[in-house]
Amino acid sequence: MALATLDNVFVRYDLKKEAAAKKVAAGKDESLQKVLTAVVDGDEENIVQVVNEALAVHDPPTVIREGLVKGMNEVSRLWEEGVYFLPQAIISSDTMLAGIEICEKKMGRAMDKKGLVITHTAEGDIHDLGQKIVNALLRANGYEVMDLGKDVPVDNVVAAVKQYKPAMVTGTALMTTTMTAFRKIASRLEHDGIEIPFVCGGGAVSLEYVTSFDLGIWGKDASQAPEMASDAVSGANWQKMREKYNG
Amino acid sequence: MPKYTQMAYNSADEMIFGTAKHPVKYGRDFEVGGGFVYPELVPHPRPGSEETKKSLLREYERMVNDVLERAVALGFPGIQIELEHVWQMTKNPDWGGDIAGQTRRQQEDYYKKYGLKSAIRATIADNRKPDQENIRDCKSLDLALKTFESSAANGADNLSMESVGGKEISDYCIVRQDIRGVLFGIGVLGSRDMEYVWQKIVAIAKKHGATPGGDTNCAQANVAMFMAGGLLDKSVPHTFAAVTRAIGAARSLTAYEMGALGPTKDCAYEDPIIKAITGVPISNEGKTSACAHADLQGNLIAAVCDLWSNEAVEYHDMFGGTTPAVFTEILGYDVALMNTAIAMGKAHDLKAMLVNSDKYRDPHSFVVAPENAYQVGQALVANNTSYYNRARAAAIKAGELVLADSKMLLSAFEREVLQKTLRELESFPAKEADFVDQCINTYKKVVPGFNPANYGL
Repeated sequence: MALATLDNVFVRYDLKKEAAAKKVAAGKDESLQKVLTAVVDGDEENIVQVVNEALAVHDPPTVIREGLVKGMNEVSRLWEEGVYFLPQAIISSDTMLAGIEICEKKMGRAMDKKGLVITHTAEGDIHDLGQKIVNALLRANGYEVMDLGKDVPVDNVVAAVKQYKPAMVTGTALMTTTMTAFRKIASRLEHDGIEIPFVCGGGAVSLEYVTSFDLGIWGKDASQAPEMASDAVSGANWQKMREKYNG
Repeated sequence: MPKYTQMAYNSADEMIFGTAKHPVKYGRDFEVGGGFVYPELVPHPRPGSEETKKSLLREYERMVNDVLERAVALGFPGIQIELEHVWQMTKNPDWGGDIAGQTRRQQEDYYKKYGLKSAIRATIADNRKPDQENIRDCKSLDLALKTFESSAANGADNLSMESVGGKEISDYCIVRQDIRGVLFGIGVLGSRDMEYVWQKIVAIAKKHGATPGGDTNCAQANVAMFMAGGLLDKSVPHTFAAVTRAIGAARSLTAYEMGALGPTKDCAYEDPIIKAITGVPISNEGKTSACAHADLQGNLIAAVCDLWSNEAVEYHDMFGGTTPAVFTEILGYDVALMNTAIAMGKAHDLKAMLVNSDKYRDPHSFVVAPENAYQVGQALVANNTSYYNRARAAAIKAGELVLADSKMLLSAFEREVLQKTLRELESFPAKEADFVDQCINTYKKVVPGFNPANYGL
């Protein structure tokens, strides 16, 4: 059936707001530029070669700082500007982490991390994709992530927090009937005197629910995780973080 | 192995809401696809009510009563209620069984008093963890099968599932825009897992005289679609999600090859393709599932439905009553309009309105529009030599259709993603065995816990 116009049926706002073309910052020299470009392009096939070439000229911390991390910063910017979608950011993150692994081998030790974050998906919930995205974005931003996995009993989360003393803990749930584990975890931690920011998000998890118990901070989107971790590592308590993100 | 070699319908024009080639009868004088559309209401318990069996039974008793009461109050001829299991209902088979029994008694009461036609779908939770356990022999599967038994024994008329086979691969690949892994995880592994699981579900249904309903690619294609999100979201490209949907159709088809009879699951947006191939009645959700999620085919997806659903609505009070009552009313009047169109001989006009409302809103709606769904189905059955071949053919056809229609506008980025996806699909091996070898070799290295033996590989 031919229609004269659909203008009053829907508007394709996505086409009105197309992102600008990709422009990327320059590296300090040619070898670092190649590393930076490989991260920006998510070039997993060539990252080993270009990182090794850069390591022949520079020390590992320089390759990490001026090539890998700088490349990832560009990716974050491109994502924020709408040039990149999530998959480009994830592939670039994979590429950067592969490069860091090579540098760490050369250094003979792991790169200093900004802090530890423990992540999990609620007991009874097998939907852990949101958690995996959080893990990838945190790692890409220099945090150590302890991934407890999916369908994690309350006891295991509490025990891990007590043992490893992270700067922040996160919980992901798709269903409202599994997110109830978050309140139990928060209650147990608070009872034991552990006042840690507990970021909860995913699916049907609501601001109203998460802010109904102490320690809880509602995470609207996985992309917030690095900034939240930065706040937690900088010493922001859960009250301050709740005010900033959920106020 | 794939079985469908031809389409159930001669053309997409022949497909219409309310009528399926193979209607299904069950419940209390309830027929799906027999000439009319019925509402399917899915109530969801409030957090906290799942703490004990007693509190959950009481929650369902209230919700179901609110649904039936509103249906009678507004003169709706019939309704199906879906008991979509929260984890606790499947983990404890007696909980699922008792809730099915309670719902049956409530429906019987309304049938006796008022003649309200009704039925129950029990959708058992698939709590298996493919990257952590042997999904063909694990406690989660054992409990799920026991809960199918208890539900059917206590009065569930339709047994359905949202199976998760291959999810460990598709989750990894959807967020990396890796079409090879999506094709492998959904098209190959998902289909193989469904073959295994659905044989068991169909056997249980037969034993108890229940109807094996259907499955949905909720765990995979819906992940891609929901991550693609609205027009301005920047998570998964919309063209990539649309191609993923076509692959999901090839996988969901397996349930009907194993003996499922429909109606299909409401959240299976691939259902128009399934109906075109199989002729089973389908359940769909669109604008009426805004209580659970947003999508870009709110009207279109009703075009060939046989049940019209709300996905899931959590139990709360609204000005107009409780949420299950309110959504019963919304669904009931939507269905009344469709059935009025049928009665007035205007069904195809209404179908055209529903389709044109959304067809060019997004590539996803475009692919599941009946005329395109039909062509994807044709590609699928014409390449039925293996799960891989048919899923790949469906994906290629979906992508080609999107690119070929000048009215389906795409951003430069989305077009580039789709063209790259098609190039990759075309480059894959011709033989399933070669593709599987390639994928096992690749994903065993990068997806922790991936175990090909879970899929008989």
